[in-house]
Amino acid sequence: MAASIIETTGLTRSYGDICALKPLDLLVPEGEWLSVMGHSGSGKSTFMNLVGGLDRPTSGSLQVGGENLLALSEDGLARFRREFVGIIFQQHHLVPYLTAVENVMMAQYFHSVPDEAEARFALERVGLGHRLKNRPGELSGGEQQRVCIARAIINSPKLLLGDEPTGNLDHKSTIMVMELLKELRAEENFTVIMVTHNQEVAAWGDRTIYLDDGILVREERLVKTDEG
Amino acid sequence: MLFRILKNSFLKRPKAVFLIFLSITMGAAVATAFLGIAGEVSHKMALELRSYGANILIEPSAAEGGGFLREEDLPKIKTVFWKYNITGFAPYLFGIAEFSSGGKRERGVVSGTWFAKQLEVPGEDVSTQGVKGIAPWWEVQGRWPEDADEAIIGAALAKRLNVASGGEVTALVKGRRQLFRIVGIVTTGGYEEEQLFAPLVTVQTLLLQTGKVSRVQVSALTVPMDDFGKKDPSTMSKDEYEKWYCTAYVTSVAKNVEEVMAGSRAKPVWQIASAEGALLNKLNSVMLLLTVLALGASATSVSTSLMASMAERSKEIALMKAVGADRFQISSIFIGETLIISVVGGIVGYFIGDQLAEVISRTVFNSTIASPLWLFPTAIISAFVVAIAGSIAPLRRALLVEPVKVLKG
Ligand SMILES: Nc1ncnc2c1ncn2[C@@H]1O[C@H](COP(=O)(O)OP(=O)(O)OP(=O)(O)O)[C@@H](O)[C@H]1O
Ligand SMILES: [Mg+2]
Repeated sequence: MAASIIETTGLTRSYGDICALKPLDLLVPEGEWLSVMGHSGSGKSTFMNLVGGLDRPTSGSLQVGGENLLALSEDGLARFRREFVGIIFQQHHLVPYLTAVENVMMAQYFHSVPDEAEARFALERVGLGHRLKNRPGELSGGEQQRVCIARAIINSPKLLLGDEPTGNLDHKSTIMVMELLKELRAEENFTVIMVTHNQEVAAWGDRTIYLDDGILVREERLVKTDEG
Repeated sequence: MLFRILKNSFLKRPKAVFLIFLSITMGAAVATAFLGIAGEVSHKMALELRSYGANILIEPSAAEGGGFLREEDLPKIKTVFWKYNITGFAPYLFGIAEFSSGGKRERGVVSGTWFAKQLEVPGEDVSTQGVKGIAPWWEVQGRWPEDADEAIIGAALAKRLNVASGGEVTALVKGRRQLFRIVGIVTTGGYEEEQLFAPLVTVQTLLLQTGKVSRVQVSALTVPMDDFGKKDPSTMSKDEYEKWYCTAYVTSVAKNVEEVMAGSRAKPVWQIASAEGALLNKLNSVMLLLTVLALGASATSVSTSLMASMAERSKEIALMKAVGADRFQISSIFIGETLIISVVGGIVGYFIGDQLAEVISRTVFNSTIASPLWLFPTAIISAFVVAIAGSIAPLRRALLVEPVKVLKG
């Protein structure tokens, strides 16, 4: 049994009267690929943002990678994000005036020092070796999402978070992105948490949890058939 | 990388960057121009103010008891440490005389003085000294005396003697007589209107006071008195005294003159000295205030431009934060941007401001000015100050951006 990379007890997040996440107890073992499902407004993004250090809980405890996120200052959380987490959003959030390689280098810059060769290599790994100098506006949706993946993995995070990364992609691109993530995970051994509305995408994971109105209602362990 | 981010962010938003650049440049230009001419304005103003009367009065010191100063000491006034600040002086010798003209008799003061005397002092430029120079507000109907027996007469005395320009007045002092030809009637608005003014030598002879002078009025360019200037020099340390002596306070110039006039006491004419000081101080404050206001206006404009571009940049900031940029890293990008703009703006602003000062000085004062060396760093620093002051509010806002809210899917 691997050690837990994420440990929450009684974790909640409220916005005024709205309780977006009801007390949640969850353990995520290191190296697991966890899918998060639930209807719109069920608190999936809320959960993700808490785990990724982008948001602060209202109550409960939250340990990620041995770090008590509640105890961290704003700058402490920023350091946690750049050193520990890679995030991929649904909208491909790239800096529009920077090229693909510069967008990746920006993450390196905030982390430590930019290294163009390394950034180029990361883009080659996601199959964009030929579009290094293009700006986001000149890339397709799937390509932009792959730049985001390259940026998310560039600092070798222990935890990769995806908030519906394939939400805007067609079936073919979705498969491509998921395959890519799977390959990268095999090499880098990071833990994955993936929010999705898509059952097929969720099936890429080891386990799926279902949220409903901020409550964990169900979880499902997937039997891997394709690895047998 | 920071450089790449800055370069691309500039290229991406040329209009916004240009607006900020413009605000900073204008601020720096106005600051340069104002500060550049401030010194000039003060100087010109001080010169102008000197026409409102002598600000130092030299009298025989009570201790000496002689009651007179020596005329032979007068040229030394042009050799003292502060000689270039002394714009003019005039000696006076007073005596009571019995004036008569036609059938009228009146007691009054006969006053010997220099009107416009060519003064040659070895080693110094020839200068013209006398009442004409230090009291330009004297209104003479007729002309100034030139010959030894010519005189001008105060308007009040002239009226009582019923004498006009071209007439004659006899002065009687202890049995000695002197006939004066009146060449002008003088109106001053002061006690001088009760006197008769004649060349110093003539009056000295009449009063039997050869080579003697009752008092000297000196007009000097001085700096406004401040707290240090008001200290009593006799209680100062050596260094303090040196600093005091080398500052053109009216008191230190007076002291300077006193040292060369044997048996004299020189004192500031306080009504004039302090009124002048107050005026010059006000003038400097106004220039400074205008500069500060101009800088404030351009800082506001920088702030507004940055705020406006902040709306479109909040996504980019949110993204940087999500990727792990801390407050320091976000700040350095923003401050870096404005600092680069402000260096360029400061340099350009300096050159524009310098030209502006030149033009102002030419049109207003009819003179050219040499811009002081400190003006360049001042322009750059003004630009920095504008940039930093203008960045505070936008930067605050940038740091408050919440990635979770902005990047919502
Ligand atoms: N900043 C906020 N202020 C107030 N309420 C919020 C805020 N963010 C989220 N909520 C509320 O919290 C609840 C959960 O939101 P969340 O974004 O986690 O849902 P989700 O499961 O990600 O939905 P979707 O599938 O549509 O992305 C919703 O009811 C939402 O309205
Ligand atoms: Mg969501």
